Amino acid sequence: MTGQSFDWMGRRIPFRTGESLAAALDAAGIRTFGPDALGQETRYFCGIGACQCCLVRVDGVVREACITPARPGQLVEAMESRHD
Amino acid sequence: MTEPDVIIIGGGPAGLAAATEISRSGYSVEVVEQRESLGGAVHRQPIAGVAPINQAAGPKARWNALAQAFSAARISVRHASVFLGVDGDGLVLIENRRTGRIEQARPKAVILATGAVEKVHPRLGWQMAGVSTAGGLQVMMKETGRAPQGRVLLAGSGPLLIAVAAQMARLGNPPVAIVEAGDPLRRVGTGIAMLGHAALLREAAGYLSQIYLRRVPWLRGTQLVAIVRDGENLQAVLRRRDGSERQITVDRIGLHDGIRPNDFGLPNETTASTSRPLIVRAGDCREALGAFAAEADGRRAGRTVTDLLSGKRDRAGLDHAVERARLAQATLAELFAPLHGAQALRSLPDDTILCRCEGKTVGDLRRLCDRADRLTGREVKHNGRFAMGACQGRFCAANTAALMAEISPDGPAPSTEDLTGRRWPVRPISIAALTGAIPPNTENE
Amino acid sequence: MQSRPPSSAIVIGSGIVGAATAYFLARRGIAVRLIDASAPAAEATGAADGAVSVASKRPGPMMAAALKGVRLYGELADEGLFAGAFKRRSTFIVAASDEECAVLDAHSAALASAGVRVETLSETDLRRDFPALSPQAKMAVEVHGEGHAIGYQIVHRLLTASGISVDRDTRVESLRLEDGGRRIAGITTSRGSLTADVVVIAAGNGSAGLLGFSGVLTPRKGQLLVTERAPALNAAMRGAIMSGRYLLSKGSQKAGHAPPPRGLGLVIDPLVTGQFLIGGTREDFGKRETNDIDAVSRILKDAVALVPGLAGVRLLRSFAGVRTAVVDGLPLVGRIPGLENGYVATGFEGDGICLGPVTGKSIVQLICGEEPDLDLSSFEPARFASQGAAA
Repeated sequence: MTGQSFDWMGRRIPFRTGESLAAALDAAGIRTFGPDALGQETRYFCGIGACQCCLVRVDGVVREACITPARPGQLVEAMESRHD
Repeated sequence: MTEPDVIIIGGGPAGLAAATEISRSGYSVEVVEQRESLGGAVHRQPIAGVAPINQAAGPKARWNALAQAFSAARISVRHASVFLGVDGDGLVLIENRRTGRIEQARPKAVILATGAVEKVHPRLGWQMAGVSTAGGLQVMMKETGRAPQGRVLLAGSGPLLIAVAAQMARLGNPPVAIVEAGDPLRRVGTGIAMLGHAALLREAAGYLSQIYLRRVPWLRGTQLVAIVRDGENLQAVLRRRDGSERQITVDRIGLHDGIRPNDFGLPNETTASTSRPLIVRAGDCREALGAFAAEADGRRAGRTVTDLLSGKRDRAGLDHAVERARLAQATLAELFAPLHGAQALRSLPDDTILCRCEGKTVGDLRRLCDRADRLTGREVKHNGRFAMGACQGRFCAANTAALMAEISPDGPAPSTEDLTGRRWPVRPISIAALTGAIPPNTENE
Repeated sequence: MQSRPPSSAIVIGSGIVGAATAYFLARRGIAVRLIDASAPAAEATGAADGAVSVASKRPGPMMAAALKGVRLYGELADEGLFAGAFKRRSTFIVAASDEECAVLDAHSAALASAGVRVETLSETDLRRDFPALSPQAKMAVEVHGEGHAIGYQIVHRLLTASGISVDRDTRVESLRLEDGGRRIAGITTSRGSLTADVVVIAAGNGSAGLLGFSGVLTPRKGQLLVTERAPALNAAMRGAIMSGRYLLSKGSQKAGHAPPPRGLGLVIDPLVTGQFLIGGTREDFGKRETNDIDAVSRILKDAVALVPGLAGVRLLRSFAGVRTAVVDGLPLVGRIPGLENGYVATGFEGDGICLGPVTGKSIVQLICGEEPDLDLSSFEPARFASQGAAA
């Protein structure tokens, strides 16, 4: 553990080098990544970037949490958390 | 970097085997892989500092050999790159997620080795948080060396369930139960047929002994029929073969009902074209037969492409390993055949989600098809919105087509492709990336 | 002229025009067979941008027809048939250069002269009331009274309401004539022969062969895009956006002058789902099965230039359709020359969605000896009679 972390909705989430965002969030006990545009729960499902259920916004860009590597200092938010 | 002759989509066993084969023939080749590491799903690599989870000796040795040969061939890999498709002008489109830009290429050939996706039958509540695929739980275990936490239920059908259960057990958190719709132990004849596939049997025996040791209930002939939220928990409703039901309270559920090629929206194979690249499929995305066959099929695809590029007429037929794998898969399918498979779709409650991305239910489909006029797959898609969401039909198109066939049995059944179409982008792609498109022959950053 | 209404009819083509025609026939108790080579809305109707609009029109027969088309959508929505399938919203034509502003001013005046309610928004107005628009927008004209409808949904409504079952996968091979070639006895199809009192050809690009016209109908491909849901941005869009640059290119075409082989006319439509529909191209060549990165990236660059927020949204789907254009820019609606009981309704190019229902209604009125809602005088198929007789 090198003490690196990213920000998830105001919370510091630690991760190990090489982990995906989904793995780190899972280790932190986070089960859903907020509602999607239809109000459904986003969550980890297939693990291979196919199902589009684990979408989060990473530094402003919508990404599948399961295939996006965690990097220090990333701002990771629920897809629908911004309202500009 | 100049343009490669061949681009291979997917860094799993089929892709790496194809790439290594092509590199031996003197053609230049590059692999496009969406993640930062190679291996695909079946050989998902652990992160640094984590020991690989338990794997059968045979597959592990084969992967090591393949990875070494690939590495020795010094083949270029574009990591964090997602294949978007081949456009109308024959350009191969790739999203480079490191730069956030689209790259265009005009290789002579493309080998698609995108692997398989899991089948997940619709069940009430499958869309809830805490529910994932069993394979999804498995790749996360492989990556992190950690079993999913809490009370975990694995449910569905197929040999992958016992593999995941055994791997979880070895990592200290066996599942509370495995719910298996089939009953492999009853099909003695088929079981004997598995003796012809010794390696698979050995692997299965290894898993089963773990499951037996840890006393993990293997509830065969049982179906998970509904998932209901119960505060922070999930209630799994199980139906046994005699029709009786019971409930288990769990924290997480991993579903799995088999695998199918991850070929949604992928361009068709073409072996003769002037304006478009040759396109060949390899591995599970051509035919879902598992990792062993995938590697052999990758080599076959590599040979096919080099034969085509060098103008050879007669091409490599399917590898013997593929034919053997077909037999093995057929036997496994029979062994694990759900005891009450045919009824499953028909008996689904109306409010079962069918297309999760669009929030459409089984009832929505029934109402749409409840008319004298028999709708095509495309009409059902457009007017019901099935398969029109972000997953582009990967987890709903086949189920929708199957349910349509049940609802209107007279006439040809719609195909999955009727519902998914075949256009790029085969994955959703940010508009920011598309508006900064980079033309081919540009230095890759 | 029919002496009395027919008791049976065949409509060839189940796009929006054919479906509307069949609906209005069925409403009068006429027995309808609706035939399609593939399936309802399989061609242009199923790949349309859905504009129910007069915004891009100049005063003239197409403007007059479009005004009636828009009005009928409103009526049918209020009646219930199109309830929830017709979204009323303004079109904002946006100018981003002085040249575009000048053209837009003139265009706005022309629209007003045709009775369309228009409102000019200055740069200041836009910054204040339409912040989703880029600062590049210098001026906009809001065209009121417009709307949007998804072609395949409208077809589905029409078919559901009329209870018609479509003969799918049925290719019409020829018209069978009798009476010295003055009457259609029936049609020959890939699945057998049919007879009826009246035949209406509404088969888009498939109409040319049946009509025997050559060099009259021409296919014109259009590529379109659909994004994922972006509810916040969608809610901030007050209506559809059309680039004023489109008017520049349209304005430079007079009737008879060929448009460039490939043109781009930007339209951004906020769909009820929260997604965006973004279009589109006009291309004389190309297959409907394909989209190319060149067109797609150009369309999106133009879109992001006007609505920067789109850059953060993902593209979900590309698609294309092939419109049916007529060489003189006006559709073919009316009797087929030389036939007592044959009618055609096609060639709507980019106006099919807007004009589909009102054309269906008008053709049926014509068939039944009534005054059609639409003034069909400019759409008279006989103007091409010298280009060949019906097959």
